[in-house]
Amino acid sequence: MNAQLSPQLQDNLVEIQDLKKWFPVQKSFLDQLLAGRKDFVRAVDGVSFNIRRGEAFGLAGESGSGKTTIGRLAIGLETPTEGKVLFDGIDLGRQNERELRHLRRRMQVIFQDPMASLNPRMTLGDSVVQGLKIHYPEAAEKHRDTLLDIFERVGLSPARYFINKYPHQISGGQRQRVVIARALITRPDLVLADEPIAMADVSVRALLLELMVQLKQEFNLTYLFITHDLATAKYICDRIGILYLGRMAEIGDLKEVYSHPLHPYTQALMAAVPVPDPHKRRTQTMPAGEIPNPINPPSGCRFHPRCPIAQEICSQVEPELRELRPGHQAACHFAEQFL
Amino acid sequence: MEEKQTTPEAVPQWQLDLDKVGFVRRLFLARKWYGGDWWFVAVSAVLLLFIILLGVAPQWFAPYDPREEVGPALLAPGEVPLGYVLVVPAGSSVTSIKEIGTNQNNIGFVVGSPASQALRKTTDELNAAEKEAGSGITYQPRPRRYETNELGLTDLTEGKIDGFVASMEELEPLLPNFPGVKVVGDLSGNTRTFALGTNQIGQDVLSRVIWGTRIALIVGLSSAIAAFLLGVPLGLISGFVGGPFDRILTMLMDSLYSFPGLILAIAIAAVLGAGIGNVIVAIAVLYIPTYFRIVRGQTLSVKNDLYVEAARSLGTPPWQILTKYILPNVIPSVVIIFSVNVADAILTEAGLSFLGLGLPPDTPDWGIDLARGQDYIRRAWWLITYPGLMVSLVTLSFSMLGESLAEILNPRLAEL
Amino acid sequence: MNDTTPPLVQIRDLSVTYKTRLGDTSAVDKVSFDIRRGEILGLVGESGCGKSTLGKALLRMIMPPGRISAGQILFNGEDILTFDDKRLRDYRGRQASMIFQDPMTSLNPVQTVEQHLTEAIQVHDAGAESQSMARRIQALIERLGIMQSRLASYPHQLSGGMRQRVMIGLGLVLNAGLIIADEATTSLDVIVEAKLVDQLREIRDEYGVTILAITHNIALVAEMADRVAVMYAGNLVELGEVNRIFDRPLHPYTQGLLASVPTTEINERKELYKMPGEPPNLARPPSGCRFHPRCPVAMPICSRYRPGLNEAAPGHWVHCWLYQDHPEKEEKTLKVAA
Repeated sequence: MNAQLSPQLQDNLVEIQDLKKWFPVQKSFLDQLLAGRKDFVRAVDGVSFNIRRGEAFGLAGESGSGKTTIGRLAIGLETPTEGKVLFDGIDLGRQNERELRHLRRRMQVIFQDPMASLNPRMTLGDSVVQGLKIHYPEAAEKHRDTLLDIFERVGLSPARYFINKYPHQISGGQRQRVVIARALITRPDLVLADEPIAMADVSVRALLLELMVQLKQEFNLTYLFITHDLATAKYICDRIGILYLGRMAEIGDLKEVYSHPLHPYTQALMAAVPVPDPHKRRTQTMPAGEIPNPINPPSGCRFHPRCPIAQEICSQVEPELRELRPGHQAACHFAEQFL
Repeated sequence: MEEKQTTPEAVPQWQLDLDKVGFVRRLFLARKWYGGDWWFVAVSAVLLLFIILLGVAPQWFAPYDPREEVGPALLAPGEVPLGYVLVVPAGSSVTSIKEIGTNQNNIGFVVGSPASQALRKTTDELNAAEKEAGSGITYQPRPRRYETNELGLTDLTEGKIDGFVASMEELEPLLPNFPGVKVVGDLSGNTRTFALGTNQIGQDVLSRVIWGTRIALIVGLSSAIAAFLLGVPLGLISGFVGGPFDRILTMLMDSLYSFPGLILAIAIAAVLGAGIGNVIVAIAVLYIPTYFRIVRGQTLSVKNDLYVEAARSLGTPPWQILTKYILPNVIPSVVIIFSVNVADAILTEAGLSFLGLGLPPDTPDWGIDLARGQDYIRRAWWLITYPGLMVSLVTLSFSMLGESLAEILNPRLAEL
Repeated sequence: MNDTTPPLVQIRDLSVTYKTRLGDTSAVDKVSFDIRRGEILGLVGESGCGKSTLGKALLRMIMPPGRISAGQILFNGEDILTFDDKRLRDYRGRQASMIFQDPMTSLNPVQTVEQHLTEAIQVHDAGAESQSMARRIQALIERLGIMQSRLASYPHQLSGGMRQRVMIGLGLVLNAGLIIADEATTSLDVIVEAKLVDQLREIRDEYGVTILAITHNIALVAEMADRVAVMYAGNLVELGEVNRIFDRPLHPYTQGLLASVPTTEINERKELYKMPGEPPNLARPPSGCRFHPRCPVAMPICSRYRPGLNEAAPGHWVHCWLYQDHPEKEEKTLKVAA
């Protein structure tokens, strides 16, 4: 929950403006000759949203939605094909390599696979302290204390024991805590969490979720939380954006969106999530077909071939996001019927 | 370490146990974990230590100077040198002519045979040596002449004479009939035999083989190290940086690599000329592409691993990414290649010197010995057998070490 | 599902062990239960609990260093552990088949969909004539919602959901009696997953196939299963009708698991239950009941003896000392209403 911030601080930490990222498709030489034009995977095809300082913003979608790519664009790990990413008012696209690296202190990442994201040949302490060494080299004597402190804070106690271990010597849940520690040691403003608990054991996920929520309060963080699991998003996110095939279908306050989904895709998504209650089995039918190829998205509204309420206009005109309830937008020509 | 578990997730007991043991105990525990592999490592390590010892201090092991002509040519392993020998009664404790060369002893020989000349020559030499030493000892045995060897041997058996001189050639067929006598060595008191025989010019094969280790190790290790020091950084940078630099370098390395090894080495050695330094250079150039390819390939794959990306997202500068993240994860496979490479380098060096390229002709080197001995396969098999065996043994040891390192260097060694 | 007809599969005291460097790991430890004809049984547990191993054991697909060390698996009354190679080949595919987690790697990349299905038939029915085969395949793909045009496609040209349907097809084309779905939907998007669940339910209704759904997602089990079996660290800890298990879970692990599952229901006020500890290392499992180090209501007896599976209420089995008596147990035994 947002604390009452004073007016001048309540601004957007991240602004995504009309972001597009197209990846060229690797074709054989012959195909290129014959086909003529180049093909692109339109991973992100015109997305705009803001993340307010201090909030946890969720970006949800299935495969091909572009959520991971947007995450990477938001912290400058990729450069946009079109559009802008503003971090605290700074245009990331206009920064050179060095300036960007410098900015990194303020935006950190928690990756999905903790085993793969830790250097197998570095001790856990070393892996985590790198951030301090890079961004605060002059305060070297304080590094060890800060390191021990952050290990304790993420629940890896006794810290002295864990800093000398290697990734393969600890459990999966513990590894993810190390990744969290690494992300937070430089006291960043923004944390990109890319499916952070997807690979943890089911019984451990709740602990990790709670840790992330706690740390958000303690460290005054802003989260960009990327997930395919709407259920977990509920426990950590204040606002959420639903992506479909590179475009934003719906965006708003999480409780709002979950209780009143306005876009047919969001409705299908919410209905599809299995409910752990056999008395409440799903009765709705799922949209026909499958997610189309992002190289050639459908004309007009991308969801129209599968949409139960699609009309002729839907295949011709792509709907824009419009505010239908306070703080709640949906990109659908006929969303009014669900109000 | 029964510290209270304040972590919500308990650290499994077996992991705690693992850390309690010291390094030495862990080596022993390793035996249980690795089973057969552990013995592999142990055996190859012992073998290698021995080989290195041979190379470092050959003088401790080699009985003779490898270049000195210490014996008759083409003597078989363990064979007593053919020549004129001293025969004594079986029960006698005499071991050389010195002990029965004084006035009091009777030495027999066949009249008119070269044996008497051999005897006189020997005593002359001994007397000259004693005169120089100023010891005042003279050797002047009393000669006893016989018509035939058999008569002399009979008297010897009966103890009528103290010793008998004849050539081994003549004695050999007779000895079985005279069980009461024994051959104790040639006339100068030398009972030496050569454990591995001698070569065409009388050099001791054993000594040459031992000294050959030094050359092999020097050339093998130096060239492998040189190739390593050049190939690894080039591969790292090339794989990391990519672009046209990478492409040009790769093409260059690929063309070098596609040459059959020995031929390339020959070409380089021929161009550079003789000398051990040039041999090392030639072999090193041969192996640089190997390291380059392996390291570049690994770098390309590691470059895209998640932890490298994580490092990048931390703001790590590229140089640090290369040295702290990519290099440590690429090195293990290279170390394995290195040990196999040393083995290969030794083979190549043997091949080069076999062809007469590079090393001065009298160097005690396995390749040279193999070259010289190839015409004598039937007559004197020991000339090529022992150098050949050594090449194989050293190659094997390094290869074994390389293979077993693959297991050890794997960071998952402590995991279930 | 009839309670009176004999069960399709009877597992009795099954144990599977793996030989590892640090000793023998018991991945499945004396597990017994039945799979009734025509039911969908959800086998749920975390990673390492042995559920996948159990599934593989049902097809005798345990490879060294693992082996089935004890027990029986009766399929239609016959112990499959005694089958010779020939009988085993007939059993696999024709009587029991499997759908795997990653359909990309379990389909042959150089065979089209049609070739896959045809081959499956031919392996088991060498004399099948092509016309009748084509008809069977045709009917099947229509039923499964695979388009005609897809028959000539290769696996890499199909989407994940489509590939899974091909796998189901492979199971059905031979009229297998048992389909084992091992994390079949784990790699799929949630909408595709939902459709696949619908599909499985439909084919069970129409063909009477028995389905063993192995998953770590307990919500999925609530959506599709008739009965639920919960596994933990190689043991079967609870088994019963799906409604009972979710309304009144008896085993502390099941209770904890259910309380820690997130939902999209925004009106739920309660927090997620955070289960302490982590699943144990099976090479050195805890003594007695393997769950006791993490159990909020563990008693002294729990670390000393292992409880057996006990029918605490009709059709509801629990592996827990709370519901059983023991001479050394001091605490009261809980009674469960039917």
